[in-house]
Amino acid sequence: MRTAAPVFVAFASGLILVVAFFFNEETTTIGKLSHQLLDWVIIVGGFTLLLGLVSITRVNWAAVKRRSDGWIYKLFTIIAIFVTAIPSVLSPDWSPLFGRARGSIFDWLFNYLQAPMMATMFATLAFYIASAAYRAFRARNAEATILLLTATLVMLWRVPIGEALLNLLPGNIPDLINTYVMNGANLAVQRGIIVGAALGAASMSLRIILGIERTYMGKG
Amino acid sequence: MEQIDRRWVYLLVGLAVVIPFIIPMKFPVSVSPEAQSFYDAVEALPDSCTVMLVFDYYPSTVAETEPMAVVGARHLFRKHCKIITLTNIPYGAPSMAESVTRRVAAETGKEYGKDFVNLGYKYGYVSVLKGMGQSIESIFPTDNSGTPLSELPMMDSITNYRQISFIFEVADNATADYWISIVNAGYGVPMGVAMTAVMAPKYYAYVGSKQIVGLLGGMKGAAEYEILLGQPDTAFRGMDIQSLVHFLIIAFVIVGNIAFFVGRAQRRKGRAA
Repeated sequence: MRTAAPVFVAFASGLILVVAFFFNEETTTIGKLSHQLLDWVIIVGGFTLLLGLVSITRVNWAAVKRRSDGWIYKLFTIIAIFVTAIPSVLSPDWSPLFGRARGSIFDWLFNYLQAPMMATMFATLAFYIASAAYRAFRARNAEATILLLTATLVMLWRVPIGEALLNLLPGNIPDLINTYVMNGANLAVQRGIIVGAALGAASMSLRIILGIERTYMGKG
Repeated sequence: MEQIDRRWVYLLVGLAVVIPFIIPMKFPVSVSPEAQSFYDAVEALPDSCTVMLVFDYYPSTVAETEPMAVVGARHLFRKHCKIITLTNIPYGAPSMAESVTRRVAAETGKEYGKDFVNLGYKYGYVSVLKGMGQSIESIFPTDNSGTPLSELPMMDSITNYRQISFIFEVADNATADYWISIVNAGYGVPMGVAMTAVMAPKYYAYVGSKQIVGLLGGMKGAAEYEILLGQPDTAFRGMDIQSLVHFLIIAFVIVGNIAFFVGRAQRRKGRAA
């Protein structure tokens, strides 16, 4: 029963959504049913967020109690979660500091703490990329040389001064890069990847609907 | 030379980032065909139509993505379009949507609830995108601040995608794929994608198949749109920094390879001796 029930739910839900695709979603029963299912996904998803909150609190609180390595950071994690979450779910009718509107605690924490910290972390990538370009981007063989030359041309093409320099050379090189690199080789490869990924997703969905794929239940 | 102290590399990158702030160079920006077709599609929209401006990006990429959202909002407000903002990213995107649209609305004298609405975030992008095909209000009964949609005058005449003329997607991740495959393919709503430079190459495939009307790739894409709009701003200024840093990285690659080949030749010579 513990296996059969989830497999049946997955089969029925998947089948309804697949069949509903071929019917008018506003006027037919199956179309309305498919929308009902999608509403349930949103509701269940809300509970999974709550589950995540409980889980992260339990794991980190256990580490704080044991005073394990880095417990102080875990304590900060717990404090940050609740300081952000609690004011954001309280009604703004009680105070303009509650809720998620402009001027609320949540908005302030996001704009003046979280966003700058995340942007800073991401910005440091520029330094690592420059360092890696110097240390690792080597023309060791033919494939690496092609990659290196293409990357250099695209990097030049993507900035105004590089484009101006390329325009000094004979032939319309920026246009050639756009036509043959980005809309040629790149487009063909990307299209292959997209089609391949879509086929993979379709076959995986079919395996789940038919109950062949059961790893989502923790079973092989 | 092959193993230079990385602090020198960091110092040079730091200088390449800081110098253009002090001495603006204002390199001329040319417009790519993808940005031009994006701009033309938005320009061709009927005045006062309703457009979804989607903020599917994380705060980490805000330097690259926000200029695209700003130019989008500016262009749409200039055309007196009604803007619905929403996001599939829980990580602060509703706040970013709020701050961008309110800032641009203040420039153009637009009013919340009448000219633009921020729906915020709802879990489960596939369900959200499909669900809005039937009823936006069933998925977002309230806006981001908790005001019921029925109390917002702009939403009176908007039920689902049938009233949406265009989707302006700003993203730094693959959620754009779902907008294309569910909303564009399923409901026929035309859309354009403004994407971080690292993600942009993938979306050339969708431009080629005409599933999206155009593509803005990274800060350069935003700068191109700013030029088309006749209002050079943050992205245009950012092009100076990006130009120098790209040149620096190319210089590092060249110097690194020269050092590698010289070092290899010396090692071979040493072994032969």
